[in-house]
Amino acid sequence: MTDPSAATPEGRSVIHDLGYRPYTGPRLGQGAIARSLVGTGLRNAFGLGRSGRSKVLPFALLALNLLPAVIVAGVMVLVGLDSLPIGYAEYASTTQVLVGVFVAAQAPVLFSRDLRHGTIALYLARPLGSGTYALARWVSLLGATLVFLVLPVLVLYGAALLSELDVAEQTRDVAVALGLVVLLALSLAGVAGLVASWSTRRGFAVVATIALLLIANGIVTAVQGIAGAEGRPRIGEVTGLFSPYSLYRGLMSAWTGVEAPTPPASTGMELAYVAVLVGLSAACLGALVLRYRRVATS
Amino acid sequence: MNRTIIRLSAQAVLGRRRGIVLVLVPVALLLLAVVVRLLTDGDVGFQATAGLGLTLALPLVALLASSAVLGPEVDDGSIVYLLAKPVSRHVVVVSKYATAWATTMVLGALPLALAALVLDPSLGRRALALGLGGAVAGTAYSALFLALAALTRHAVVVGLLYTLFWEGVLGSLLAGVRWLSVGAWGRAVAGEVSPLLADEASTGLVYSLVAAALVTLVTVWFAGDRLRSFTLRGDE
Repeated sequence: MTDPSAATPEGRSVIHDLGYRPYTGPRLGQGAIARSLVGTGLRNAFGLGRSGRSKVLPFALLALNLLPAVIVAGVMVLVGLDSLPIGYAEYASTTQVLVGVFVAAQAPVLFSRDLRHGTIALYLARPLGSGTYALARWVSLLGATLVFLVLPVLVLYGAALLSELDVAEQTRDVAVALGLVVLLALSLAGVAGLVASWSTRRGFAVVATIALLLIANGIVTAVQGIAGAEGRPRIGEVTGLFSPYSLYRGLMSAWTGVEAPTPPASTGMELAYVAVLVGLSAACLGALVLRYRRVATS
Repeated sequence: MNRTIIRLSAQAVLGRRRGIVLVLVPVALLLLAVVVRLLTDGDVGFQATAGLGLTLALPLVALLASSAVLGPEVDDGSIVYLLAKPVSRHVVVVSKYATAWATTMVLGALPLALAALVLDPSLGRRALALGLGGAVAGTAYSALFLALAALTRHAVVVGLLYTLFWEGVLGSLLAGVRWLSVGAWGRAVAGEVSPLLADEASTGLVYSLVAAALVTLVTVWFAGDRLRSFTLRGDE
């Protein structure tokens, strides 16, 4: 009996060259993977490239968010007002519930699914570090949030320009509003992303994010209202530091002159508001990177 | 009702992370009541605290509890093992509803009364009224959210949009929304019990109670009906 593993009876194995060739082209590194991950993530956040049913929710929310802006634009054109009935920066504050629900609902799409189904291992098998993965996901969420926040501002801006309001003045207002919106998006994306990566149950992550954002905002607003009524605005100013929405409202009031309870009164306090918004975002991002590093090594 | 299903649902509701958030919501409300009490001596803060509790904390607790008893099982498909048991689908839903309802009462309605007591211990009737209003609204909320969880995968988002957008944003703009708003029914009941909470734009005691009862019964039955003809879908 001859050795069955031998290819020929005499054991003289032969390797035939069948012409298989390895890939010799350029290999893109981590940066290219991260870039395409950001791009797909941005599309996925709006359900593009996913099933039809997953497009319904983000686009319904986007439509609800744009509706007031379109109505305002229509009224501007028909009635011919000489100023916008709602400020650019004020808009995001008015529709804060929709913004919160959008970010909370779409963060699990980017952060929870890969963890829950274990597909994270496929990403990390590539030359993509866990930190870069977390960063790319976060940038996608930030981009989606910015699209959600900036679109109505642009609609209002377009309506203002088409009604021939003062271009310089409107442009300055829009620039301030865009700056504020970026600060808000930074902190919202951080908080929502962190909660979604912490809890991989979709529904739970949504409610937890909303609870965190809106209950903190509700408590801060209540305390600010009372502090204002009692004539102790300092307490209200400091309380405003404890929720992204109240930080946004305070800065909006300080920079655009819209009425808000107990806005930051001094430049130092305004700087503290900005620092807390950016710091919150950075802290959430750091925690995200740590979380994914732990996932990658376990 | 089925005791095993109730036990399993209770574990799902109070499982570690969800349990933490569920407890954090009423704790935040009570903390606010304490802070308000320290800041003011008058009645300024009551409106803000009660408003936050009834319009935000209570629906969020009901949503967390109701989506916990059904949502994860539908999500990961393990509900088929439960549905394969020789238990009526309506019994399954009623058992799950009982768990969600009890959680909403203890962590949603009771803290409302406690917060009112913290703000002014001498006004016991007002605290009772707030608790009763919360109980009526919480009963309807948890049934409504349970039906949503049986109906759609996006139950949580739809529920949030209902409470925050329909009842909150639109309710403050259009007075007529109150006739279709669970929170407004709860406030109407609270206003009937204690004149301190009375509101001229109330939906009336009889309408509110009948509407809340109707919503509860119809949605719980509907959730059972949805489970009866349940089709399992893949993840999106």
